[in-house]
This record gives sequence, C-alpha cells and structure tokens, in this order.
Amino acid sequence: MELKILEQFESLCTREAPPACQSWCPVQVEAGAVASLVAAGKTDEARKTLERHMPLASLCARLCEGPCRAKCLRSGYDAGVNLPLLELHAVLRGRQTKPYPMPPTPHSAALLGSGLSALVAAYNLALKGHKAVVFSPAPIGGRLLAAAGGRITEEILAEALDTLAKLRVEFVGTPSEKPVPGPLADWLKDYKAVFLSLDDPAYDFSVLGFDLTGLVPDPVTREPVPGGADGPGDAGGSDDAGGPEGAGLGGLFLGPRSPDPPGFVWAMSAGKKAAASMDRLFQGVSPKSARDREASGPTRLAVDLKDAAPVPEVVPADPESPTPEEAAREAKRCLGCSCVSCLPNCPLLRSRKGYPKKYAREFYNNIITAFGIRHSNRHINSCAECGLCGQLCPNGADMGKFVALARRDMVSGNHMPVSAHEFALEDQVFSNSEEAAFIRPAPGRDWGHGDGGGGRGHVLFPGCQLAGSSPETVLALHAHLNACLPGGAGLWAGCCGAPGRWSGRPRLTSLTAGEIRSVWLECGSPRVILACPSCVLFFQAELPEIDIIGLWPVLDGLPTPGGHMAAGVPLVLHDPCSARLDASGQDAVRSVLGKIGQKFVEPLMTRRLTLCCGRGGLVGEANPAMADEYARERTKDSAGPIVAWCSVCRDRFRSLGHEALHPLDLLFPRARPEELMKSPPPGISASREGRRYFKRLALEKTYGERAEKEDGVGLKIDIPGSVLRDMEGRRILMTDVAAVLENAAKNGPAFVNQETGRRIANLRPRQVTFWVEYEERTDGSLLVCRAWCHRMDVPGTPGEGEESPASSEGFARGGGRV
Amino acid sequence: MAHAFTKAGPEGWSCGKCGKKLAPVSVNVEYMGSSFFVELPGCPDCGKTLIDQELAGGKMLEVEKLLEDK
Repeated sequence: MELKILEQFESLCTREAPPACQSWCPVQVEAGAVASLVAAGKTDEARKTLERHMPLASLCARLCEGPCRAKCLRSGYDAGVNLPLLELHAVLRGRQTKPYPMPPTPHSAALLGSGLSALVAAYNLALKGHKAVVFSPAPIGGRLLAAAGGRITEEILAEALDTLAKLRVEFVGTPSEKPVPGPLADWLKDYKAVFLSLDDPAYDFSVLGFDLTGLVPDPVTREPVPGGADGPGDAGGSDDAGGPEGAGLGGLFLGPRSPDPPGFVWAMSAGKKAAASMDRLFQGVSPKSARDREASGPTRLAVDLKDAAPVPEVVPADPESPTPEEAAREAKRCLGCSCVSCLPNCPLLRSRKGYPKKYAREFYNNIITAFGIRHSNRHINSCAECGLCGQLCPNGADMGKFVALARRDMVSGNHMPVSAHEFALEDQVFSNSEEAAFIRPAPGRDWGHGDGGGGRGHVLFPGCQLAGSSPETVLALHAHLNACLPGGAGLWAGCCGAPGRWSGRPRLTSLTAGEIRSVWLECGSPRVILACPSCVLFFQAELPEIDIIGLWPVLDGLPTPGGHMAAGVPLVLHDPCSARLDASGQDAVRSVLGKIGQKFVEPLMTRRLTLCCGRGGLVGEANPAMADEYARERTKDSAGPIVAWCSVCRDRFRSLGHEALHPLDLLFPRARPEELMKSPPPGISASREGRRYFKRLALEKTYGERAEKEDGVGLKIDIPGSVLRDMEGRRILMTDVAAVLENAAKNGPAFVNQETGRRIANLRPRQVTFWVEYEERTDGSLLVCRAWCHRMDVPGTPGEGEESPASSEGFARGGGRV
Repeated sequence: MAHAFTKAGPEGWSCGKCGKKLAPVSVNVEYMGSSFFVELPGCPDCGKTLIDQELAGGKMLEVEKLLEDK
C-alpha cells in the first residue's frame, strides 16, 4: 500500500482535529481538556494543561478575553462555556507547574518594551535556554496594570516578573522613563533577534529611527511584511517576496499591531509566535514550515450535537474567585466536542477505543511490518466492509474500503493468515462444483427466448446461501417467476464469488467472474435476476456487462403468488447492508410486504444506515465473536421478529436465538410464519447438504432429470448433536468426518484403545488434519465420539495432498454448470 | 519452541498398525514455513503420533495463530 493512500484516508477522518474553542484560540489552549479536568475536580491537572499552551498562566489567565466563547458550539443553544472562568479557577486553585528550562544556549534576543507580548516572548525564549533581555522604561510591565483595569494586581504582576527573573530573563530599565536610544540597525547588529513590544504604550519606538509605516506582522512568524498581508488567523504566513531579509530587517519580529485584533490574548499570541520564530532563527530552521497548528481559524472537526440540550451559564457569586463547585458546574456545560459519528453502531470501531484514522495507521503499519508479529491481522479481518461508517462520516471515510486494500496487500505479500478465510473459499469452490452448481433454461425451452434483456430471456440466480438454506422456497420462487415472466425463467445455481473478493484475492475474484461471464455468454446472455444483495454488489463491480435486476423489483411487478401468509405480529424490517444503497430494492420489498398484508416497523438504523449481520467481509470466519457483536447491534433493539431480505442475515439472527424470516418465507410459505421464524439456522454441514439437495431437487422436480448416483463406501455414521455443535465451531464438516472414517475403513484406524474399544483415525486432505474418535457398534455403524482438527503438519498423517484455495490466490475450481 | 507440546500420552491407546503402546517420540512439526521438534505421544515402532483434542484446540492452536501473524 502506498503511503498516499493512507494519507488520503487519514485526511477524511476529522477525529483528531481540535474542537472549535481550541482551533480559534490565539494561543491554542486545549479548552475542552481544561473543562473536562475542571469538571472532574482535577484542578492541578487542569492548570498543567492550561500552562502547556498559556505562558505565565497566573497572569495571562486573568487577562484572557476568551474569544473561544463566541466559537463554542454551545453558544448556538444558550451561551458559550465561560473558559476564562475555568482558567481563573485553575490558576487560583491548581498547583503551578515548575518550569524546567533547557540548557543555556549562546543565543540572545532583545525585547524592546515590556508589554504582555514581550513578557510572554521572554518566558518562552528562556524555556528554550536562550537569553532574553527586556529593555523597558521603568517600571517593567507597569502599563499592564493600568490597561488591565483591575483584572490583575501588583502582586500577580510581581509574581510573573519573579518567575521570569528565575528563568534568567534580564531586565534593563531606564530610570529616565525614556527608551534606550539607538537606531534599529544597531540593535540588529548587537542581537540576532529583536522583538518590538508594540503593545507597550510607554515605549517610544521612534527612537529606533525607523518608520514602521506600511509594515505589518506576518500572522504566524511575526516577521515584518508589507502591509495588506493576510490578517491574523490565517495560516501559513506570506511568501518571501519583499520579506524581512530583502528589506534588511532579518531578525526583527513584531508584537501586536494592526491587523491583530485588540486584546491581551492576541498580545500573548504575538509573543508566543515571535518566540517560536526566534528559536527557529537560532536553530537555523525555516520560520514558516509546519506551523499550521499555530494559526487560529475554523476546525475540520465534525460534531453531531443532536443530543445537546440548553444548560444555563453559571454565574459565580464572586467573579474574581469562583468556588470549585461553580467552576465544575460551568465546566460540565462543555459539550466535549468530538467526532464520534461512525462509532456507536460499529463493534469493530468501538473495540479498541479508536477511530478510523487511528486504525488506518495501525493497519498500514501492520502491512509494512517486515519482521515480527503483525498485531492487526485479526482486526483487519474483523471488518464487515459493510459501508456504514462511510455513510455516517461527514467526509465519507469508509473503513471497509481501506480494509479491502489492506487485505489485498496481505494476500499479495503472503501475510494473510491461512485460516482466516480458507473455509469460506472452500465453500465458494464447493458451491461452484459439480455437486451444487448448474444452469438450465426456462423449463421446456431453450436459451434465447423470452423478453428479458431484449428477447434473451431471464434466469434466476438465487445465490449459494439462499439455495442452501431454503431449497424448497427457492424452487417455489422459481416456479412463480417461470409462470409469470413472459418466456419463463431459467435457473442458475452457484456462488457469485463474493467470498473471494472479501478475502482480498483479486485473481480468484477475476477468475470466478470470468467463469460466470463465460457461462452467461454460452447461455445467450439472459437477464439475470439476483435474489441475494451481495450477489448484486459483486455483479455490479466485477461483471458490469451482465444485464442484472434485483429480485424484489421483479416480484413487485408481478402478481402476488397465491398461498402467501403474513405473520400475526409486526416484523422489524432489516435491510441487508449490501443493499444499503439499493433504494429501488428497499422500496420494492416494502411494497411487496404491504401487498401481502404484512405489518412491519422500520428500525432506527434502516435503509442507507442499516446494520450488518456479521457475515459481511467474512468476519464470522476470522472472528466469530465479533460477527455476533455485529448481529447483536440489530437484535438488541428489535422488539419483535425480524424480516430480512437476505437469507444470511435471517440465519445469523436466528443463530443468536432471535426469531427471523425472509420475505420469501411469507410469499412461498412451507409452514406458518410463527413456526418458520423459530427454525434453527442450518449449520455449515447442513448448508452444504442443502445446496446438494437443491440441485438434486431442481433437476428432478423442475427439469425431470435423473440424479446421478452418489459415491461412497456406504458407511453408516452417527454424529450426536453435541459433537456436531463442536464440529461447527471448528469448521469441521460431516463430509470431513466421513472422509476420515472412509479412509480408516480402507486402511485401518491410526490408534486403538483396548480398554474402551474406541478408535482414533485421522486424515489430512488439505492444510488441515482432521481427527475422529469413534466406536464401532455391533450393527456395523460408527458412533462419532469426538472430532477435532489442527493446521500444523505432523509427519505420518495420511493425506490426499490437495492444494488449499487459500494457499494459492488464483485457485478456483468450478465446472459442471451447463 | 522445542518441546512446547510435550505432555504425557493419553492412557490406554496403542498403535492401530503395530499394536505398541504409545510413548513419547520426537517429531519435527511444520507450519507456515517454521518447523521445530516436539515430543508427542506416538508409536515407538512406526513413529505415528497422536495429537489429542486438548492439544489441538489449546497450545497448538495458539502457536498456529502466532505463526500466522508472523
């Protein structure tokens, strides 16, 4: 994966963007964090957080005008959070963090004037180890007291000056209350950096013999640039054309000056930015690069405030000393702005307390890991690729699309865990094998008749899972379509190839699609009616030339089949995630349900925002527990039985014990809906058997063909339900057990137990070794006591040496369709 | 990694072919390009080894997952 793909995805996720209060703060105070800590009573930590961005916090917190209040999203409800009050509380009651300056450097800067900007710049320069010399008429900082209008006292100012003195900041006063004379050029000769504290009204800058008219500070670097430059708050600064170097002003930095807005917080900002620029100058680093975060302005953070409610602002009894209780109450008004749009309904995104941008970085690192453990393999394989996060994200950041690329890279780099998708790929191979796959034209007709797709006829492609779990229902559906569609309808059983696509195997996907295309062309290019929404997505992506139509718009346009039934209770309508963008399919299902009198309710997350049952992305193969978490997102809020127009969704909900139906169960009922909805889902063995049975049933009943006789040595095998459940959990099929026992019948068991009479046999037909412990009954039947498997290869295991589909990306077996 | 799977052989089992009682035998097991020697209960004559259910679903599964993520 190229880095730019990661960066493109990261740029979509705004989770790490600052909230508006912070992005607009001229000194970038983490206002949300301060509020959160004050609300929690963690005053020391609140002060520490404040001091990270606000120098001389005891002084500055009292002077801050709080421009964040107007930008606070709460101001849309009542009034912005009073952050200055929280700052005051933090400096009044929180313990001051001891400043630890860096080791002294040989660099020094002259700061002319002692306005707030100069004091702030001196503090930050001193922390970097540079020598800061403040030249000012006495008393130092004296004009602040008057300008602050009583917000600070002499003691507070003295405390700040004492802090500066302890940091080796030097003050050069002039008893005559006149500025130190001397032309600017001399200052720039004596000092590598010179800062003009233009917010000190007592300093007469005319003594510099230099006219500042027409120069304004660069909003980020604070270097003088020709007037008319971008105003404060714009990022980046200006280009060098006509910049300070060219004007012989290299090393000069300006304090607050128009177009800076008036206010102490802008003076703080000017001092901070100038100190950072001076430090860069001393270090020989570009003054402009990577300073976007220092600019105040709008944030990219997307915030959903649907749950916010008005809360009145707290007015403290004593504004100069709010009580901790008052401060905490005001802090709790903070909405804690953060982008969580995609998180609430996705168990994967919630699972590691992360968010798409963080996960994408982890997944990228996982892919480029050269040595060591790839810790995110399981996480990558636990994404359902259902697209919900992309729908919820204001910028459309779809984790599933990123995961699909990550899986491709894992496969191509030979780092995809073999066990993750092997069973599903084998299942795909099985569905397209002679055992289950076939295609036939409309009964009694040849290909090339009918009205579908311009006279080329129709063929129903029910999809492997629906055919496997509801074979009789699909046959009834086919009979209905065949009877109602002019020219009838053919029948095509097989797997579209979605598992290969989900597993990150483009070659296998392409081969499967190519095989489908060939069959379709051989049969005269009929219009394909797709009953499975996942098949629809696969055909749209991989086989755009094939004329397809979803089953439900077709059914909606035909007469309602006789014998349909409706459940006596309203059903919760579940749209499959693969159909979240299929509005016509969604409408058609609702229309058909209405025609048969089935009452249903729409869940909160429906249509475009529907949830995944856990089958998507083959999550159930790599992380069955996570797959269940996906399904529970739907079942937990479903008060009644679910009606899902995807058989996998229906069966997944049933597997959690939740009653569920497919609309086809109502249109072509084999039993009362109340009974059907309670049916247990077919397990992996029953599903495969269902597909075999579907082929046999269809060919015999619909097409009058005689089924081929099945092979086998005729063993009578008895597998108790408890053993079968264990087998399902380890993806062991009944046919796997039969193969082991058939091999043992020919070659003898591997081990025998003389005391119990039990036997153990094993077989390694592919990259898995299957073991079966069994008893031979007196009637010759075999009772399976236990079955287990492992992937590790142990010498001496009998096997057929067959290649696994997962071990070879392009492996595909098929045939037998026509 | 060596001897990671060493455990006492299950009681009462003997080789289906040789009839010998199982005893610890050293075998080289392999997965995902890594191989290592372990002691497993097996036939002292023909060397056929038994991986019981507990081992297959426990320690061996853990090592398989570890090797798959390497």
